[in-house]
Amino acid sequence: MKNLEKIFNPKTIAIIGASPKKNSVGWGLVKNILEGKDSRKFFYVNPFEKEIGGIKCFSKIGDISQEIDLAVIAVRAKIVPQIVEQCCRKKVGGIIIISSGFAEIGKEGEILQDKIIKLVKSAKIPLIGPNCLGIIRPSIKLNVSFAPAFPKPGNIAFISQSGALIDSIIDKSLSENYGFSFLISYGNEADLTLSDFLLFVNKDRQTKVITVYLEGLKGGRNFMKVAKKISKIKPIVVLKAGRTEMGKKAVFTHTASLAGNYQIYQALFKQTGIIGVETIEELFDIAKVLAWQPKCKNGIGIITNGGGCGVLMADYCQELGVNLVKLDSKTIQKLKDSKIMHPAFSRNNPLDIVGDALSKDYQIAIEALLKQKNIYGLLIIQTLQIMTEVEKNAKIIVEAKRKWPEKPIVCCFLGGEMTKKGVEILEKNKIPNYPDLKRAAKAMKVLIYE
Amino acid sequence: MPLLNFQQTKKLLLKYKIPIYQTEIFNSEKKAEKFVKKIGYPVVLKIFSLTILHKTDMGGVKMNIKNNKELKKAFFDLIKIKRIEGILVQKMGAGKEIVLGMKRDFQFGPVLMFGLGGIFVEALKDVSFRICPVSKKEAIKMIKEIKGYSILKGQRGEKPLAIEKLAPLITKLSNLSLKEKNVKEIDLNPLIINEKGVWAADFKFLV
Repeated sequence: MKNLEKIFNPKTIAIIGASPKKNSVGWGLVKNILEGKDSRKFFYVNPFEKEIGGIKCFSKIGDISQEIDLAVIAVRAKIVPQIVEQCCRKKVGGIIIISSGFAEIGKEGEILQDKIIKLVKSAKIPLIGPNCLGIIRPSIKLNVSFAPAFPKPGNIAFISQSGALIDSIIDKSLSENYGFSFLISYGNEADLTLSDFLLFVNKDRQTKVITVYLEGLKGGRNFMKVAKKISKIKPIVVLKAGRTEMGKKAVFTHTASLAGNYQIYQALFKQTGIIGVETIEELFDIAKVLAWQPKCKNGIGIITNGGGCGVLMADYCQELGVNLVKLDSKTIQKLKDSKIMHPAFSRNNPLDIVGDALSKDYQIAIEALLKQKNIYGLLIIQTLQIMTEVEKNAKIIVEAKRKWPEKPIVCCFLGGEMTKKGVEILEKNKIPNYPDLKRAAKAMKVLIYE
Repeated sequence: MPLLNFQQTKKLLLKYKIPIYQTEIFNSEKKAEKFVKKIGYPVVLKIFSLTILHKTDMGGVKMNIKNNKELKKAFFDLIKIKRIEGILVQKMGAGKEIVLGMKRDFQFGPVLMFGLGGIFVEALKDVSFRICPVSKKEAIKMIKEIKGYSILKGQRGEKPLAIEKLAPLITKLSNLSLKEKNVKEIDLNPLIINEKGVWAADFKFLV
């Protein structure tokens, strides 16, 4: 495994191509690096500027007297080889090349990229890129990118062959309750490849689940070996693009990688234990549940205050191969004995506790089902009637989760405005909620051991 | 990519213990007759050519030959076809058709494909893929993955097919594909499966 510590936890950073020009990439880097100004030292390099925002500009990296852990390069492609050479002479700990105009544009760019590869390989300096957005590690306030916003820290590592996708996902995540351990845009993979990043985030304690946006691989056989090993320790969820002929063509013009035969990729995912998904929504639906809830055996209970939703959920569960366990007579007796349940409660799984159910009903139902030994996880549905106690229900679920930490709970509080506060309580306590029954069923499905 | 000749193809299949129907190549009808005496009727006659890939399209296959008279006629019909190496004489089997193939992917190396024969592969594309090496466990998953698996398992009233012999066959082909690097593509199509076992009836290796 390569040593990427200096890239992902640098004490000193040099931004080569730092710029005061608003809306330039060099300006974006400068702006974002300030996020961590109390945690590390940084230096600007730009021979045409004296200072940027009151901070001195060096004309070349060699002029900086301190050791540099990470050099970030955002200059014209043509002069990148010469800058890389200076970085090698300076013996930096790692390099990120943001600049584009390399293998992705054709032969001419490929020659430039080859020059860079030769330089960093002989100097044994790890390199990310070129043609990438950069990296972000929220927990230590490290933002070496030109992303538009700073994401929340969390347990999801997102490694992406597309930089732009990262930007929008950050924005989206700000209104969600999950956060990231790492965001890595890896560009053309001139040196470090997806496999290297998988190995790195696998060692990171904060990372509970690894998500990937993938177009085409470099070193397929090695990836296979690495992914197979890691997926046994941490789940890997991959959104693969280029499934169709049109998509494949688009991949080639985007990252110059070959998308390959999608059927072979599907085989690869099966053989390595990777979870393959088809949409961005699915990628983070699944990442969220894997980051927050434990896995369990195949035996699930459904609690609902709406009969129709229970039926739909049962359909999805059967289609996905999620087993619904028969309720024990003991469990049903407990529900009856409570004297609180509506007399028409369903006595079946899905357990319909009827539309006018209050929090007390949910509490009794949840306790009774979780106490049944062969129910290993719960899907809890809440529809919204005038008497439904949204926040109280959420608190009861959080409470139950504390009592049975080994049994996963996935919620589907159906609605919008009026369920918001409940959802927030759930998710702040790492109980995932989905605003759609099928999405909740799919989330439960990935928790089940094969 | 050229086709590997018959003797070398057969040699490789035998080396990796991939079962095939008894097959020999002949240029003389007399010798063919002698061979059939040994293996018994019914037999199939097929042309073998390094340049003709789809032999059925040009009438290069004669099925269900039951006696010497039919053998003679079929042999002389086929030998007239140009650009052939010889005539294959093969014991005729009965059962369900399966296909098993290998292609080399630029990223992952040899990849195996499995499916039911005929319409299932061609019209329904009901096939599964695995990257080599394919273990027995993985092979079983590969077999169960196709939608037509219930057909393979057999319907009520049918004799059960020897499906337990499929997974070992797949691992053997995986092994061959990994070791014989000069083989670019393999097409075992069809394989015949019945209650006794599974055998390749037609086999093509591209090198």
